[in-house]
Amino acid sequence: MTQVTRIVGRSVPRMDAPGKVTGTALYAADFALPGMLYGRVLRSHEPHARLVRLDTSRAARLPGVRAVITAPDVPDVRYGGSVKDERVLARDRIRFAGQPLAAVAATSPDAAAAALAAIEVVCEPLVPVLDVAAALAPGAPLVHEAWASYTALPILHRDRNVCNRARIVVGDVERGFVEADRIFENRFTTSSVHQGYTEPRAAVAQWDSSGLVTVWSNTQLPFEIQTTLAEILQLPPSKVRIIVPGIGGGFGGKLRIGMEHFAALLAMRTGRPVKVMTTSEEELTAAYPRQPAIVEVKTGVTNDGRLTAREARLWFDTGAFAGSGPGVASVATLMLAGPYRIPNLLLEGFAVYTNKTNFGSFRAPSGPQANFAVESQMDIIADALGLDPLELRLKNIVREGEEGPTGQMLTAVGLEECLRRAADAIGWQDRRPEAGRGKGIACGWWTTTGGSSGVYVKINPDGTVALNTGAAEIGTAALTGAAQVLAEDLGVQLADINVVSADTLSTPYDFGAQGSRTAFAVGNACRAAVADLKRQILALASKHLGVEEHALALREGSVVGEGKRTTLGELARISQASGGGLIAHGTFVAPPTPYDAKRVEGHVYPAFHSPSFHAHAADLSVDAETGEITIHRYVVAQDVGFAVNPAAIEGQIEGGVAQGLGQALSEEIVYENGRVLNANLTDYKMPTTLDVPRVESILVQHPTLVGPFGAKGVGEPPNIEPPAAIANAVASATGVRITTLPITAEKVALALRARAT
Amino acid sequence: MTFDYHEPTSLREAIELGARFGVDGRFLAGGTDLMVQIHRGRLNPRHVVSLQCVPGLDAIEVDGAISLGARVTHRRIETTTDFQGALRALVEGAEVVGGHQVRNVATVGGNIVNASPAADVVVVLLALEARLTSLGPAGERTIALDGFGTAPGVTVLRPNELLTRASFPRLAPRTATAFLKAGRRRAMEISIACVAARLTLDAALERCQDVRIALGAVAPTAMRARSAERYLEGRPLTDEVTREAGRIAATECRPIGDVRASARYRALLVATLVPRVLARCLERIRFHTS
Amino acid sequence: MTRIPLSLIINGQTHEVLAEPHRTLLDVLRTDLGLIGTKENCLEAECGVCTVLLEGAAVNACILLAAQCQGRAILTIEGLAAPGQLHPLQQAFIDHGAVQCGYCIPGMILAAKAYLDENPEPDENGVREALAGNLCRCTGYQRIIEATLSAARALRASPSSACRETAR
Repeated sequence: MTQVTRIVGRSVPRMDAPGKVTGTALYAADFALPGMLYGRVLRSHEPHARLVRLDTSRAARLPGVRAVITAPDVPDVRYGGSVKDERVLARDRIRFAGQPLAAVAATSPDAAAAALAAIEVVCEPLVPVLDVAAALAPGAPLVHEAWASYTALPILHRDRNVCNRARIVVGDVERGFVEADRIFENRFTTSSVHQGYTEPRAAVAQWDSSGLVTVWSNTQLPFEIQTTLAEILQLPPSKVRIIVPGIGGGFGGKLRIGMEHFAALLAMRTGRPVKVMTTSEEELTAAYPRQPAIVEVKTGVTNDGRLTAREARLWFDTGAFAGSGPGVASVATLMLAGPYRIPNLLLEGFAVYTNKTNFGSFRAPSGPQANFAVESQMDIIADALGLDPLELRLKNIVREGEEGPTGQMLTAVGLEECLRRAADAIGWQDRRPEAGRGKGIACGWWTTTGGSSGVYVKINPDGTVALNTGAAEIGTAALTGAAQVLAEDLGVQLADINVVSADTLSTPYDFGAQGSRTAFAVGNACRAAVADLKRQILALASKHLGVEEHALALREGSVVGEGKRTTLGELARISQASGGGLIAHGTFVAPPTPYDAKRVEGHVYPAFHSPSFHAHAADLSVDAETGEITIHRYVVAQDVGFAVNPAAIEGQIEGGVAQGLGQALSEEIVYENGRVLNANLTDYKMPTTLDVPRVESILVQHPTLVGPFGAKGVGEPPNIEPPAAIANAVASATGVRITTLPITAEKVALALRARAT
Repeated sequence: MTFDYHEPTSLREAIELGARFGVDGRFLAGGTDLMVQIHRGRLNPRHVVSLQCVPGLDAIEVDGAISLGARVTHRRIETTTDFQGALRALVEGAEVVGGHQVRNVATVGGNIVNASPAADVVVVLLALEARLTSLGPAGERTIALDGFGTAPGVTVLRPNELLTRASFPRLAPRTATAFLKAGRRRAMEISIACVAARLTLDAALERCQDVRIALGAVAPTAMRARSAERYLEGRPLTDEVTREAGRIAATECRPIGDVRASARYRALLVATLVPRVLARCLERIRFHTS
Repeated sequence: MTRIPLSLIINGQTHEVLAEPHRTLLDVLRTDLGLIGTKENCLEAECGVCTVLLEGAAVNACILLAAQCQGRAILTIEGLAAPGQLHPLQQAFIDHGAVQCGYCIPGMILAAKAYLDENPEPDENGVREALAGNLCRCTGYQRIIEATLSAARALRASPSSACRETAR
């Protein structure tokens, strides 16, 4: 489907770039108010302990300290998205090293730091549950002794240290394995990685005289934070206002409540605005990084490469609180199936409590972990059967009109094109055995998360347009994309549009910048608003020009018909004077995707909406002695439905691959006895300019009926396939298969040595 | 994390302040180690004495011996033409430290006194048999770099002393140097292991006449691989010989396992990097004398 | 802690500040002088978002004491071009899609400027090497490199387009 469009489909520069390159764009970390105090959080050193006493008297007397709060000073509330198991400050139990115990507000950052150091913590250490194996062992200590009494989503399957078990069952796996000629069983593990946004989490809170608190923060989900904070403060949501000035990267790490509650509580206590910001150490010990995972995959296949059955389990270490775990465990089951036709499935995702930080959502949650496992195994299978890995995939991938694992009907399936074009681009057919050099491919699918978005669109008397959206711009240029859609439909220029965003008091509800949904949903909400605006415009123009509506057309900021013409600005002026202005409310919520409910249990996310499909290919060399990996070429083919802004999408791909290569090769949060060993950027190794290859992007377009101009979500997928693509290329280059992430040079070198001896 | 700041304008004044403050004071050169340690709460000096206005500490002298003032930055070493030839290891060691921002301020002296066993330039200077000059209330003394560091972060520098320069002899004919580093990423990296060598060939350009090999990040301090050196002397530098030297060096080192790498991998890297560094030296000598 | 008077030359203007001796240049810029274009993150010279130019050289403001910087010309992102104008680097970053969340960008642009000032004819490797001390999590660096190379070409073609050079 080709469309002739003016603005969508073009790589226009993003609207907020000038502010960012001049340093005038304001981020939450920059935000300040007169009379502001500085807040800090005291965090536990023990991973599991009974909290006996906190002595804050000395801290409270230090110069400049205006408040010191502990659990008795805050409402006795347990909150949490899927299980209400979290508190703002530990009451009598410490469940991870890094858990907040107290918060202070002082007149300077130094005074706040001094206050923290002066708080005495008395606790009795308990045996920590260090990992999933320990949590699931018979007789394991319970991370939450009262787990059964917690309020939780009814759909969850909870049992002691398991806070959800999500399951997909299709057909009969035992029969499927009998049908198979070969059965492959493999185990993979992945480490925790941090989103690595360069702007720390930050919040500034201020109460007004009516008892309303405004919090400026860099949250990706202002409306969710409004609800959570209201719950914590035991106020109606209307008494909480969240404003997002600007965000320096999120990647899912800024979805859940960050510093907002500390800021609000300290501001309430002191009667002054309070700013709380995380340190690098706090980010690496007490944030929401990606769950570490253990994945076991058993797949049955015929000798000619047809998949007959898969039984797979993925255990997520979800840390001390359920948080995103139950949902991520659900999505994992869809990723364990992958975009393949497998008639018999038993897939389970577990979210398991341990005494570590509350692992959360990170760009394509569960994606890299599950995809690393299943796509590595595909190559193991291909190798054993003597089949080309590309051909094995082509033989088994789902096609247009076929079913997904939970019975959803798949349309706009661009996967074959992605695979073929990525393979072509990497020179797949030219693979020659060359010691130490190899190519690998991996493919997958992902969702465009639903949830609703509303916008107000208003036309100003000078013909410019105000786009008022509840969505936060986290850096993906999603709001530029939405504005492009708006400009296209309304017949104006992108430069005519001004965006106001992310204020729970004055902007319409938005489900938030998560799940690759923002351009998709806000774009569609704009289309709805424009449809309404057009009705208003034509009605008013008809009256004003004395021409029948059906003879009028909207063109380049004007309404024309029968030789007469008026501008949108003129109409807005007229309407302001007599009709209250030209303004429309547009909303969008993705229609639910039908699926077979009998196939799922404990499942929070049973179908992928407007799914995207993608294939990655890598060409690399491995130094046989040091194990160091040099990537020569990296290709991504991604089915984006319709490319609203090709350059912006390519930017998402380039960045997502870089971040994915970090998980694949160098990044891991290292725990020992429940404490993080590398809680600083010296030893948490994110890729630099010298570590990231050029990424070649191929935008494949199989438009979805639901998306604006056919667009699908694009932001998360590039994070999914890099670990598997690298693992497969390394195996191809060396014959050595690394089944744990990150694939460090050390692991490769030692594996090569082991094979040689 | 609060301290007083002092900016002496002479060496004498700097020494006096150092003496006065003792363990409560720290000299500040580039700050890339000191400021980070303070930020992490590992150091809490009451006085910081900046050296940036003290003259006489930032000269690079090349005449006979080569001398680097303690305040010479990594960036200056990187861009000194005199070091681009046979002394290239100096550039190779300097240019892999941090990024430009760090190298613009981080000094040789600071690097030496900080005594990290992974310090890249220190490893190169060790292979060059550098000697250090320090100044204290009792006057000047010269100390060998080899043995200057006694444990991670610990040196034989006395509390009142200030390191003023590092010098090493000019290279003999038919000599070249090389340096290689291994890390988990290609920039902003503290070495997992690094190797520097200074190699002198015999007149026939075949056999090792003289060699110094220094290893970093594989012992509590940067160290010389003396057994490997002894093995090489007089031998022709074939692949087999340099590999054996690597194996010997790997047995001499005493690496630990930590969050960056295991001891086993570090030893493996020594065995791999030593022959590669020697091969580079060989290439450079032959290139320069042909 | 007693404050000391400091005279800081930033973007060509002298600022008289009273600050405790242990305060960093980054902190004084952002808190005392309201120059929030220079960003804060790791505070340990590992990420580069705080990059400013000190006498033309790229440095991390988070580990520099304000007291060390007296009388030494400092350039921040606010001083790169006159209000309403853009330095070729800024324009190139916009045109080449090198900006996503933007938080690393001021530091990145200044590091690029310092490099181009010394290397007017850079190649890709040189640019990558020069920017290795600036972490970006959004872009994968590709368009940042392209933008820098493009700005170098623009500067060679028209040197006066470097606008206001306020500190060197």
